[in-house]
Amino acid sequence: MIYREQELDLVVARRETVATDVVALTLGDAAGRALPGWTPGAHIDLVLDDTLTRQYSLCGPLRDRGSFKIAVLRAADGGGGSQYVHVLKEGSQVRVRGPRNHFALIEAPRYVFIAGGIGITPVLPMIESADRRGVPWTLDYGGRQRASMAFLDELARYGDRVRTWPEDEFGLLDLPRILGDPRPDTLVYCCGPEPLLAAVETQCAAWLPGALHTERFTPKPVEPAVGGDTPFELVLQRSGITAAVPADKTVLDVVEENGLSVLSSCRVGTCGTCEQEVVSGEIDHRDSVLTEEDREAGEYMMICVSRCRSERLVLDL
Amino acid sequence: MSPYADVAGLDTAANYPLNCWYVVAASDEVGRGLLARTVLGQPVVIYRLRSGQVAALEDRCPHRSLPFSAGTLSDDEVVCGYHGMAFGADGRCLRVPSQENVPYGARARSFQVREEPPLVWIWLGHPATSTLSDPPALPWLADPAWDTFGETMDVDANYLLLHENALDLTHFPHVHPEFSPAPYLSVPPPLEIAVSETSVSYHRDFPPARLVDWQARTTGLPQDRDYAQRESGEFVSPGLHIDRMHILPDGDGERGGSYDKILTRAFTPVNGRSTMVFWQVSRNYLTGQLQISEQLREVHHATLLADKRLLEAIQGRAGSFPAGEEFNVSADVAALRAQRIIEDMLAAERGWHPAPGRAPATASS
Repeated sequence: MIYREQELDLVVARRETVATDVVALTLGDAAGRALPGWTPGAHIDLVLDDTLTRQYSLCGPLRDRGSFKIAVLRAADGGGGSQYVHVLKEGSQVRVRGPRNHFALIEAPRYVFIAGGIGITPVLPMIESADRRGVPWTLDYGGRQRASMAFLDELARYGDRVRTWPEDEFGLLDLPRILGDPRPDTLVYCCGPEPLLAAVETQCAAWLPGALHTERFTPKPVEPAVGGDTPFELVLQRSGITAAVPADKTVLDVVEENGLSVLSSCRVGTCGTCEQEVVSGEIDHRDSVLTEEDREAGEYMMICVSRCRSERLVLDL
Repeated sequence: MSPYADVAGLDTAANYPLNCWYVVAASDEVGRGLLARTVLGQPVVIYRLRSGQVAALEDRCPHRSLPFSAGTLSDDEVVCGYHGMAFGADGRCLRVPSQENVPYGARARSFQVREEPPLVWIWLGHPATSTLSDPPALPWLADPAWDTFGETMDVDANYLLLHENALDLTHFPHVHPEFSPAPYLSVPPPLEIAVSETSVSYHRDFPPARLVDWQARTTGLPQDRDYAQRESGEFVSPGLHIDRMHILPDGDGERGGSYDKILTRAFTPVNGRSTMVFWQVSRNYLTGQLQISEQLREVHHATLLADKRLLEAIQGRAGSFPAGEEFNVSADVAALRAQRIIEDMLAAERGWHPAPGRAPATASS
């Protein structure tokens, strides 16, 4: 049995520059077929070549089932992915995997959205959904300068619920003011560069556990295990397989070596694709997806990076 | 955890997302009368306006709660059978026979419906959320190049059991040996499963083999030759599953292209213990030939009926064993994934409920 994420060959139907160094691409099926469904916060992989895969949030209208819209920042250190995407032209073919969603919009009486730079992309459909449902929300959107901030025109129609913070005009986002008054009825959704996410996490320490939802496209810094990684035994319950995971291999490596077809994509703990259900074992979580509450619950783990502290890890796989 | 962790509690479990389009009726069931249905535990009354449009109201007069379906449809007004109060398609009370004025705000709940012949879809979730999605596109059902027939079947089992059954092909040779394509009965080729945020699809390719009786009969293809076959299917939403079977002639002029048959099944939870199945069989070959439709109807009716009996027996065990007591095997992966998609939808709908007693450090007023 082969188990994988859906992959589609799509074409760039539209390419537009939406800010300095940011292009928006609208991808569609050449034959006009409907694309898979998705919900706010979802992202897709662009499979650029055998070794290069990059994740981009879907930022187009929710009702549009004919295309996927993404926005890509040309980053000097983007690992080649963003450079590659920037040379795509209208009519270029691209391979897309997904969509998937580990940043889902949970219903709540009120939302605070915080976006930094290109992190605005997953927030756009969230705002569309909240606004359509009549749920109160605010967006604080920071960027280096006005010209580098994408979708300001699109956001203008929301009036003063959107506060834009070009750094060269107003400095950094005023997080103590935005988050200084924890509300039990409010969920906070934040996407942006690591320093912003880290600052928001610190600022949300006084909020209820589970109130903050973040998404990262680069791995969260992880402290290495004291004394280095240790080996453990892996039991795949559904398949009836037992195998050893040596210190220099991941659970995902060992699962694949045993011939099991499992989902995986980024292999650095950011995309959430390889999530597996844990039956037993003391998990050493090293991903950038699960929340503190998820970790405490211990029901799921990302097998591309996370390990086991106890001698035996049993997965429902 | 078992995919049916919830099954043990299915008697009361509302384990279906509300924010989803479900089929409420086949087009030909809805006319100039009042059709009563229960969908997701919600009684609704469905009827057709003079314009041909379909309307749906909560099946309860907001005055003294007699079901509207016990009343009458007069022009475009639903007239309650108790005091003769009349209501429009938007639910507004238009007339109270015993007085001149209509009480302020008197109205029945109305629901969004969308007719995509031959099916009528309903939205019971947040009314505004319906504008963010459309019922799944099923173009073959209305395409004149395809021949389609269908039926409605009630199954006394939770809708998840129907999805699980549809996503699991390994039961087929055991439950339906007489209808199994020949390669099913030897070693079936590996299944390829592909998932997205909201869908689970699968396909497999069978090496060339003889057609079994019913396949030969309903395609007109000879039984002394080998044909490759492809089978595919998709969990589209909590309300829809699609199966496709393709017989691939080797191109020696019998007919251009493959023989495609699509089984479209809308699963609509009546409540936690019962499901309406709106099934449609479409084919792109021998169209317009009634006897072929009848033969296919017999085959599908028989397999769906066998599954119905089996699932009702399973539902009969609901609540008699602790949750999580079933075990899973590798072939359950597609069903487990669909279950997860539904769980995520339910979690998003349940919304943010901070644990009581865990107030934020500096709670605001």
